[in-house]
Amino acid sequence: MNAVIEQVRTVVDSALQLRGRLGACDAATPLLGAIPELDSMAVVSLITALEEHFGFTVADDEIEAATFATLGSLTRFVRQKLDA
Amino acid sequence: MSSTGSQAPFQALFLPATGGERFCVFHPARGEARRGSVLYLHPFAEEMNKSRRMAASQARSFAARGYSVLQIDLYGCGDSSGDFGDARWDLWNDDIALAAHWLARHAEGPMHLWGLRLGALLALDHARQAGRSFAGVLLWQPLTSGAQFMTQFLRMRLAGEMLSGAAPGNGTDRLRAELAAGRTLEVAGYELAPKLASAIERLDLVRLAPKELPAHWFEVNLEGKPSPALGRAAQAWRAAGTEVDLHAVHGEPFWSSVEISECPGLIAATSDALALTHA
Repeated sequence: MNAVIEQVRTVVDSALQLRGRLGACDAATPLLGAIPELDSMAVVSLITALEEHFGFTVADDEIEAATFATLGSLTRFVRQKLDA
Repeated sequence: MSSTGSQAPFQALFLPATGGERFCVFHPARGEARRGSVLYLHPFAEEMNKSRRMAASQARSFAARGYSVLQIDLYGCGDSSGDFGDARWDLWNDDIALAAHWLARHAEGPMHLWGLRLGALLALDHARQAGRSFAGVLLWQPLTSGAQFMTQFLRMRLAGEMLSGAAPGNGTDRLRAELAAGRTLEVAGYELAPKLASAIERLDLVRLAPKELPAHWFEVNLEGKPSPALGRAAQAWRAAGTEVDLHAVHGEPFWSSVEISECPGLIAATSDALALTHA
């Protein structure tokens, strides 16, 4: 299986239809605020896509803006969910 | 209404049913061979609109290979009678029975159910209850959990408040409490009735595993490999003794994407899988 960050990048790309615009797999890649497509509705789609890909469920109180700051912060969140 | 020119012919029709009529599109099998028939069950709410083009393309592909296809707009959806807020799971099951009955009279051979997302779970639930026997199910991107799907749907109402930190962090619980109190909720322009929501909440892909019904699952993602989530669900089916072929196809999530998109690889894989079952 691909490294988790690779999978997260692919899910972000797919959910937001970025078609490769995210570039190389770099934890420092900024997301929220840097990608115009990532508005509040798209965050909801992205959470849905992550839930459906990895098979975990995100609780409402786990959702905060800081999680979506960078590819690295989002990957850390996904790892925590997978280890939970 | 019929199509004209070199495009494959189809017929639009209305079936008389409880509370009015159901809009259907029939794609008769073409060519010499009459291999069987396929009944399509659409996904929930906006996903139905996003996936119209893919459903039509797949129906034409099946018809070209000798399968007659019927697409039905379920009660309260698309061009059928009724309001979305009055739709119920059992009403939809009755609609499927009606459509299957019509299709059996207008096409020869074995009948398959084909469903996308929530439509995939409708197909499984219907196959379990129906007196009619089906030859198999073709499931596009089946939901794994109805409860998770409802949470995702309800979240759309909370999109704005979630990131701002303004929400007290129990938004979907609050909405579920309103449903439990019998109140209909408007979510993304759709009236969600408490009874329909609770029927969907109970659905579980693993528990809906059919006995002795050949199943093909198709997953679309940019990796072109099964996701961990569907991979685990397929394993659970096999552990319970149900055969399932899981196909993963490279493509975008056309049922939810902002722009209408297509996935030709999915159509090829699905038509091939169906043809092979009757080879």
